[in-house]
Amino acid sequence: MPEVEYTTTAKLRVDTVWEFVKEMDNWAHFVTGYQSHEKLDETDSVWTLKGDVGVLARTLKFQVHVTEWGGPERVTFELKGLNEEMSGGGLLLIQSDDAAGAGSADSAPGRGFLARWIEAVFRFFFRRVHGAVKRAPAADAGPGPGVAKLTFRLRIEPGGPMAPMISALMRPAMVPAAEDLANKIMAHLEARQAGA
Amino acid sequence: MASQPRSWDLEVDLVAVGSGLGAISAALTACDLGAEVVVLEKAPKLGGVSGYGGGEVFVPDNHKMRELGIEDSEAAGRQYLEFLSAGFADPALMDKLLSSMKTAVEYMERKAGVKWICIEGLPDYYHPMVPGAHPGGRYLSVDLFKGAELGEWQHKTYAMTPHVPPGALHREMYAWGGLAKVTQWDYELIGQRISEDLRSFGPGMMGYFIKAAMVDRGIPAHVETPVRELVAEDGVVVGVRAERDGRDFNVRARRGVVLAIGGYDNNLEMARQFEAMPDWNSACPPYLDGDNLVLGGELGAAVAAVPPTNLAMFYGYNIPGEEAEGKPLFRSSWECGCPHAIWVNQAGQRFCDESFYKDYQPRLRAWDGQQQRMPNLPPFLIFDQNYRDRYPLGSFMPGQPLPEGLVTQADTPRQLAEKLGIDADGLEATLKRYNEFAAKGEDPDFGRGRSSWSRRLVGDLDYPNPNVGALDKPPYFGVRLVPVSVGINSHGLKTNADAQVVHVRGHAISGFYAVGNSAALLDLGAGYQSGTSNMRAITWGYIAGLHALGKA
Repeated sequence: MPEVEYTTTAKLRVDTVWEFVKEMDNWAHFVTGYQSHEKLDETDSVWTLKGDVGVLARTLKFQVHVTEWGGPERVTFELKGLNEEMSGGGLLLIQSDDAAGAGSADSAPGRGFLARWIEAVFRFFFRRVHGAVKRAPAADAGPGPGVAKLTFRLRIEPGGPMAPMISALMRPAMVPAAEDLANKIMAHLEARQAGA
Repeated sequence: MASQPRSWDLEVDLVAVGSGLGAISAALTACDLGAEVVVLEKAPKLGGVSGYGGGEVFVPDNHKMRELGIEDSEAAGRQYLEFLSAGFADPALMDKLLSSMKTAVEYMERKAGVKWICIEGLPDYYHPMVPGAHPGGRYLSVDLFKGAELGEWQHKTYAMTPHVPPGALHREMYAWGGLAKVTQWDYELIGQRISEDLRSFGPGMMGYFIKAAMVDRGIPAHVETPVRELVAEDGVVVGVRAERDGRDFNVRARRGVVLAIGGYDNNLEMARQFEAMPDWNSACPPYLDGDNLVLGGELGAAVAAVPPTNLAMFYGYNIPGEEAEGKPLFRSSWECGCPHAIWVNQAGQRFCDESFYKDYQPRLRAWDGQQQRMPNLPPFLIFDQNYRDRYPLGSFMPGQPLPEGLVTQADTPRQLAEKLGIDADGLEATLKRYNEFAAKGEDPDFGRGRSSWSRRLVGDLDYPNPNVGALDKPPYFGVRLVPVSVGINSHGLKTNADAQVVHVRGHAISGFYAVGNSAALLDLGAGYQSGTSNMRAITWGYIAGLHALGKA
């Protein structure tokens, strides 16, 4: 099953990041292919995205259930497809990391050169299509009040007989999508802090 | 038509406009004869419609059949293609096509490294109904192609297409049970191949051609470089004015310009005027704008046509929200060939063999002279829970929720008819009659299951008649269908037996060639058979390359 993880850093307080992340309305529109979302209650929401499935784009609707509001450090969630057979989950992890180095992309372990290269090329086209944010991580960002490390981990497990094929189609798109969400959140907060 | 520019940005022997089979075949052939060639492509990727389709190449009596010991003959192939043409072909063009196609296809294997394989067991469309039709072997496709071999072009070509399954070969698809058994395909294998960018069907075929041209021979290609005008001098085409990075890009062509940019699938005005089919949609990428007719028209090129009645026109649907290449994705509906699915018109009546698109096309074009309308439009796909238990709708598998906004569902045929706005009495009567015969595996009204091609491609071979099954298990489902064109148009530039474009005055326009779907289908007349479009693109591209270099 496709699983990706991306970590980036910013010269921000952990609390600042948490206050922003804990309210999904703040960052929902940063999610790749975002169409709409609806909060059902404190833990459940329904999301509609336009997602790339290989050579075509399709409207995906799924329910997200937050399994842990672990402020100010973590949100863990599960997801279930409403119009597609899929399930999965993930987490947003916010940590203090004063010694943080450059941001890094790191998806599922054990990937070969070919997979990394395909992802890199896919990332290039992704940025052309979605206008993804390119930003300097904390190590290059100059002095500030501290360093927060934001990690986004996402796992999606397609169901049905075509699952292995769908997984192969989705995997290259998930890495740049994870990077994009984390970077857009941090870029937004950095800009807000700079303007304050 | 543009006059000569003050200076040329590039001077070559041959300009190939487009980057599908026709253009690349011409480029390869000319290059091998020592010509300097450039390829200009309007789209951001190379491959054209050839790289977006099924990748079948129809060649009677081909060398791969012979290697396998499958018997065929040129005479039988001619007999079959003459049947398809229905008397609308130009004999000189058909003769040239038939006498050159095997040479061209074998050349691409021998010189360009295209790994053709024979699709065993896939019959001609009209087998066994007409003389000359073959039970299986005339279709060629390619072996898996490694995308990484394309180097810098790997991600500027189509790795897959939404219209055929990625990472599978034709022979595997049939061995796994065909389209009706799509739930039983080896998706572990397919997933592995996708991860390794192993290409098949049209993307795989164009992988071989583009590697041979751009990688092995170093032929330069420019994407996002549309040709805006042909440049002529004293009636001779001597170059093109293209557009690149928002500026003119003038290219001199010392030996000729080969136009291989398809037809007008995405030009709704041309499609409406030339094809006379309402609600037109295309399954092709959005670059087929009728530039062939515009560029040729400015030079006085003649336009020729064959009857649109029975070319390659499908019916299908757009699943709301599904897009490809930046526009709504229209899928051809193959569901109607499976058991437990039929088509009806607004009267609730069947009107064709739904499993055989060569039968349904002309019947959809039927005209009611009393009512001044086409009574079989729009067609409605009707299926039941038997179907849902076994077969997919598009890529939505059995058990998976059907896409919102596409499918109408009801507990009874009457309720379904009322929801769809079709005649309820008519639909009830139709299902009653169809189901009575379906119990015996028969369809005496329209002959479902008669074509071996339909049985093999879309039928369920577990059924006595692979294309027939009753609709008697509620709930019932309906989908309103629309035309889905696949780039085979009835009108194109008139060409001669050297692939030269013909002027309205009857003479050939020197230096100007049109091949593939840019050229009128005068070589095959009123008929179409899967794989003939690719075959004629390769063949006429090869002929154009030879003629431009004085080797015809």
